[in-house]
Amino acid sequence: MSLPNIVELYGVTKAFGALTVLHDIDLSIQQGEILTLLGPSGCGKTTLMRLIAGFEPTTHGRVIIEGVDVSNLSPDQRPVNMVFQRYALFPHLDVFDNVAFGLRLKKWPKDRIREAVQHMLHLVQLGEYGSRWIHELSGGQAQRVALARALVNAPKVLLLDEPLAALDLKIRHHMLAELKRIHRETGTTFIYVTHDQDEATILSDRIVLMNRGRIEQIGTPEEMYAHPRSLFCARFLGETNILSGAVSACDSDLTHVAVGRGTVKVPANGSAVSVGQNVSLAIRPEALQVRRRQGLGETTENALDGVVEDVVFMGSRVVYSIRTPVETLKFQETRSVDGSMLAPGEEVRASWRPDAAVLLTQ
Amino acid sequence: MLKSSRREAMGLALATPSFLFLLIFFIVPTLLLFVCSFWLAQSFRLIPAFTFDNYTRALSAGGFYALTWNALKNGLCTAVLTVGLSFPAAYFIVYRTRGNLLFYLILVSWFSSYLVRIYAWRVILGSNGLINTTLMQLGLISEPLEVLLFSPFATILTLTHIMLPFGLLLLVSALRDVKTDYIEAARDLGASQIEVLTKVILPMCYKGVVGAFMFTFVISAGDFVTPQLLGGRDGMTTGILIANQFRTAGNWPFGAAMAFLMLAAFLIVYLAFVRLLDLLRLAPGRRFHD
Repeated sequence: MSLPNIVELYGVTKAFGALTVLHDIDLSIQQGEILTLLGPSGCGKTTLMRLIAGFEPTTHGRVIIEGVDVSNLSPDQRPVNMVFQRYALFPHLDVFDNVAFGLRLKKWPKDRIREAVQHMLHLVQLGEYGSRWIHELSGGQAQRVALARALVNAPKVLLLDEPLAALDLKIRHHMLAELKRIHRETGTTFIYVTHDQDEATILSDRIVLMNRGRIEQIGTPEEMYAHPRSLFCARFLGETNILSGAVSACDSDLTHVAVGRGTVKVPANGSAVSVGQNVSLAIRPEALQVRRRQGLGETTENALDGVVEDVVFMGSRVVYSIRTPVETLKFQETRSVDGSMLAPGEEVRASWRPDAAVLLTQ
Repeated sequence: MLKSSRREAMGLALATPSFLFLLIFFIVPTLLLFVCSFWLAQSFRLIPAFTFDNYTRALSAGGFYALTWNALKNGLCTAVLTVGLSFPAAYFIVYRTRGNLLFYLILVSWFSSYLVRIYAWRVILGSNGLINTTLMQLGLISEPLEVLLFSPFATILTLTHIMLPFGLLLLVSALRDVKTDYIEAARDLGASQIEVLTKVILPMCYKGVVGAFMFTFVISAGDFVTPQLLGGRDGMTTGILIANQFRTAGNWPFGAAMAFLMLAAFLIVYLAFVRLLDLLRLAPGRRFHD
């Protein structure tokens, strides 16, 4: 089912003086989804969100919300609301009046305001906190008030600018679940900015990965993880092993890459490569199979021999570093029932199925 | 426990010097003056007594009201002008400029002495001053405007000039606390630029506005040098009258009584100003719901 687009960006470019921070961005955001703008700091994700909110004018391009070109409208005239990184709750007002701020400006009648604010405070589980002052709230509570203050205006799109960055880890995980619940209950479209790939993976319907003012890749978290289209994407989302080599042959469906003294076969996936071209291969740590080398025959295909260098026990899983002549590989497996683990210094062979590797040309 | 008591001891140690200074040079003299206001003076000698004569004498003289009104008018006009002029400047400095160059340029006027600036205004406003000669040369007036100098106008103009950097300093530091996040949040929630000012910026820098207003008001209303040198006959203020009681008439008790009446008037202005801001919904810490 294809949902209508609620936000559309066409050729959005933003320059601050001589510095261009966003290059010709085209993006459609679907009604009701949680879309994450993910990327390292300075990639332009916050600027893109501020352009949608209207805090910055676009240098070129158009911002369309529900079919209306809002490019020239000020923030108060756009049907979106924002949750700020440091919440920006008004310290001179109590919780109720903070949440009521937008509705009062819209001149709602008093009893409707009271009803809407109470409903929203209950939604964020702060029903009894209306008369608290902002300085009396914990970080997590302030976060909830900020959410309520934005959502009470029934925005077409809720913009969240790294809303969990100021919270400690435990509350952060709890708030992620809360955000999902609130999203489910309100059905509002969320645009979520973060540099944290875990938050993005847990929360998003789709991720927009950004780098240096451009969109690197768009997809569901699973797609992005399984099929990164660039080295940057493979590295940014999750742990990954990167091998570099040169293309030695191209079959109809498999590309052969010379890595070290061996050969890696990888699905071509339609990427146009020519013999001799330098390419990278991305293999997830959990996609490796690692066995003790003793008793195994010689092989040079989709396998690397090495020595266990480091073992990190993480409860339900174990992470190994395996030093091979080419690269030190990360290998991850769930803890086996009998608790057996490889030990540092053991000679092992890491191998993988052809379709476990992703061929990257950039 | 130990840590908190040590912190308390530290706080006490840091606060003691300024507290002692204020006690010795402000609180004790004020109390002495207050006691003195109930005494009597006879041919330059103070006679201990307990009488309200000084107060009733001041309050029953018509002149006292006129001069006090002049003083309050000087103070109010200067405070309104200072806050009114320095708020936009402070806003511009805080939100529209990156550096502090403009701020420092305005503060530079502090580097010249108070008296020098008063005399400078005499030169500018006088019969042969800059304004009058220019206007006459342009043919706009045929003889010098006497009202420029030696009038309440001259006093207020000069006091505003002197007070402006103070007001600016207080308002800039108050506005610095109102981070742009708050302004953007209000805009995002649908506030127009004016609503951002009245519903967010002013309540959030309330202390700065009250501070700047009262600071300039008290100093200008109580000042006796500027009105004496620039105010002319119509510009006489209670401050001059009080100074005369101490310096020439030798009637300390009467001067003291008038000083405390002025203090009471200042307090009333303060309460009225705070009440006004509250009525205009510009004060923080109010609940707008039941």
